[in-house]
Amino acid sequence: MLRRGFLALIAFVFFSCGKGTKNEVVVYCTVDQVFSEPILKDFQSKTGITVRPVFDTEETKSTGVMNRLLAEQNNPQCDVFWSGDPVRNIVLKSRGITDAYNAKATRQIPAYFKDSDDHWTGFSARARVLIYNKKLIKKDSLPKGLNDLTLKHFKGRFAIANPLFGTTTFQIAALFTEWGDDKAKQWMSLLKRNAVIIASSNGDVKKRTMTGEILFGLTDTDDAFEAMKESADVDFIFLDQQPESTGTLVMPNALSIIKKSPNQENGKKLMEYLLSKETEAKLAKSCAQMPLIKGTEVPEGIPSLDRIIPMKVNYDETAKVLQEIQPWLKQWLEK
Amino acid sequence: MVRKITLIVHYIISALLAFILGAPLVLLLFNWVINRKEPSFLPDSGLLFLIGSSLLLSTTVAVIATIVGTSCGFLFYKIKSNGFPTYHNILVIPLLISPYIFAVAWRDALYLLFGQYASIYSIWGVIIVHVIIFFPIVMLITGSALSSIHSTLEEAGVVITSFKKTVLRIILPLIKHSITLSFLLVLIFSLTDFSVPAFFGVRTFTTEIFTQFAAFYNYQQAIEQSIILLLVSCSLILLQFRYLAKSPVFAIGQKGSSSKCHELTKGKKWIHSSIAFLIIVTIIFPVFILIYQSLSGSHSYFIEALVSLKGAIGKSFFLAFCGALLITAVAMFTSYAELRSDIRLPGAMLLFLFVTPSTVLGIAYIYFYNTSATAFVYASPIVIILGYAARFSFIAHKIIGNGLKQIPLSMEESGELVGINTYKRYTKLLIPLLTPSLVTTFLLSFILCLNELGTTIMVYPPGTELMPLKVYTISANAPVALTSTMTLVNLIVILLAILIFYYFGKRIKTRFHYD
Repeated sequence: MLRRGFLALIAFVFFSCGKGTKNEVVVYCTVDQVFSEPILKDFQSKTGITVRPVFDTEETKSTGVMNRLLAEQNNPQCDVFWSGDPVRNIVLKSRGITDAYNAKATRQIPAYFKDSDDHWTGFSARARVLIYNKKLIKKDSLPKGLNDLTLKHFKGRFAIANPLFGTTTFQIAALFTEWGDDKAKQWMSLLKRNAVIIASSNGDVKKRTMTGEILFGLTDTDDAFEAMKESADVDFIFLDQQPESTGTLVMPNALSIIKKSPNQENGKKLMEYLLSKETEAKLAKSCAQMPLIKGTEVPEGIPSLDRIIPMKVNYDETAKVLQEIQPWLKQWLEK
Repeated sequence: MVRKITLIVHYIISALLAFILGAPLVLLLFNWVINRKEPSFLPDSGLLFLIGSSLLLSTTVAVIATIVGTSCGFLFYKIKSNGFPTYHNILVIPLLISPYIFAVAWRDALYLLFGQYASIYSIWGVIIVHVIIFFPIVMLITGSALSSIHSTLEEAGVVITSFKKTVLRIILPLIKHSITLSFLLVLIFSLTDFSVPAFFGVRTFTTEIFTQFAAFYNYQQAIEQSIILLLVSCSLILLQFRYLAKSPVFAIGQKGSSSKCHELTKGKKWIHSSIAFLIIVTIIFPVFILIYQSLSGSHSYFIEALVSLKGAIGKSFFLAFCGALLITAVAMFTSYAELRSDIRLPGAMLLFLFVTPSTVLGIAYIYFYNTSATAFVYASPIVIILGYAARFSFIAHKIIGNGLKQIPLSMEESGELVGINTYKRYTKLLIPLLTPSLVTTFLLSFILCLNELGTTIMVYPPGTELMPLKVYTISANAPVALTSTMTLVNLIVILLAILIFYYFGKRIKTRFHYD
């Protein structure tokens, strides 16, 4: 009896494990599951194509998805890579993992947010913002630009996330590209001298601001909007919005098709769907992402690219600089 | 003749195990060797300093956890007093909560109490959280060893000398192997943990390895550093190998002997207050903060958390169940082969896999199983189950090995002499005698599998939903109330599962008339 039960269990494991439909698409996603999953489910119910996602986690610093893509290079399992910023896509492109694909929907996206070789296409963007605690500091006392973070009266009262990971690295790399090495390094040194608090993640910056541990911190618009939903004490501003300033960093989501992936056709369908006004409108509603396609419906209060001064970034060059400055950033962090 | 056949079978199964579980890692190391550009393997002074400071941190954790855990083990297993069994069960709870969730909860608890938590962002924060998480392991290991000390040894001691001297001169020396083993296990767990030091912003050797993976995508460097970590962990264990090889991990059951329990006469108030303090610090604080946060949302997230976890609960249970079964079977074989046929390679391989960082293990499994020939493994949850087995079989190997040591070889030999075949000797003699060890191994493995994240996140098939994955992937930007509620639901579900298994375990024990 026991033996039969055990054999039945083993058979069940083998047969239940292998189930998978052919009409499917595999997507690896670094965008927060809470926002990306509903969109993928909508695609599934609309097209009948089963979406099999792999999400990442903040705890492991998003090592999962990127390292999987790199390790699976010889036998790809993923069809579409949906990243929260284009840097990872650019790294994958440089390692020959992505394929060129010029989606029809891409035409609606401004050229500035696309790879010149079609290896990635941007959509719905986030921006780097300054989140602050209204109870602790008035809006007119806040820094107006990144340079103001080095002012003495903010010493030890603000935070940035670990600059080796995520969008913080991207922001710093953009500054290195815009300002040049010397100025950017000097600014980073002054930040350190001003006792900047290094939080474990953007979410941690958000939490510390909400609890009032810090006056303000740098984070992304989606984190800031989530914080505002959770606490009435929190608000955010865009930095460097004066006419002569550098502007704020805007980071689009980025999609890539994986080379030799098993379900390329379905992957392309998913890309077309994600690069639509409909998806951009959903992301604007759920996490305040700024649509890149003109004329997309946006709820009230959601920032628009037309109303902010964006930093002029060459994403390819920034990604290259990012990889170059990382050893220096690591040293800066360890000092 | 029969023995020769048995030996051959053991060698074949050992080779199969080595191929399925160990070969991926060997292949990864081989790839690393042939792709290496740097001829030198020696770490620079900065890295050596980091290894030293990480070892110091983990040693501090291990020392404190060993002292606290052994004291608790002694109290709960050797002293009779009202409430002690309940205290024991409560203090096991930290094992069921992931270190990362624990760190977050503890920080938030501090903020709620003192209005600031800057002080926890330090080495001390890591030490405190690690001690809280890992001391129950010491408590279980040393406690079980204490319960297997034959009463006559203690009684003889008490007759000729004081109780204090009996403890110091008889009891502690008798369980020194278990203490050493617990110390080493905690040291390795602490040394290889990434989540807590990363959260508290403390740089350790393991966070350095993860930085190579996550920030630089530098496999070569990451694997090189992992090898150093592996060598450090292995050499620590090898130093004490004779303890590991001979010491009991869990002495389950007394097999005819009985252990002496003492009445608590002096210092009742003081001891109970100390335990109460420990429970407040280790359980009440974090669980309270999780409940508080789960209720702090704009609405109740309980239904949302349940709906979100609905699909994951069944699958997590099923995979953890299969994982625990496989681990128990593997450990049963490896310990038997080691003790009865003197085949030590599988045990050594399990030790090697146990100390390998989870990300490295995940990458090794991707390289090895992500081929067209082995797609049925990689594209299915079988790869998760193999990951579980690779990570936790060593602990199971030690538990069952100890159970096996308590069964005299003569019993099997007598069975063989009277003509009982091998299958019946196993099923009618060995397995019933090993039942308590097998049940404990299964339960512990089940808990470990249910909470495993490091390797699972690297290899889980697309579309698979598992409880720890769901809690972590959703925690990035979900409201704190939802994340806390999901963690609580996770905890409740695990506790319920343990209660169910405990009930069946007891029934099995009764069925085999073990007592």
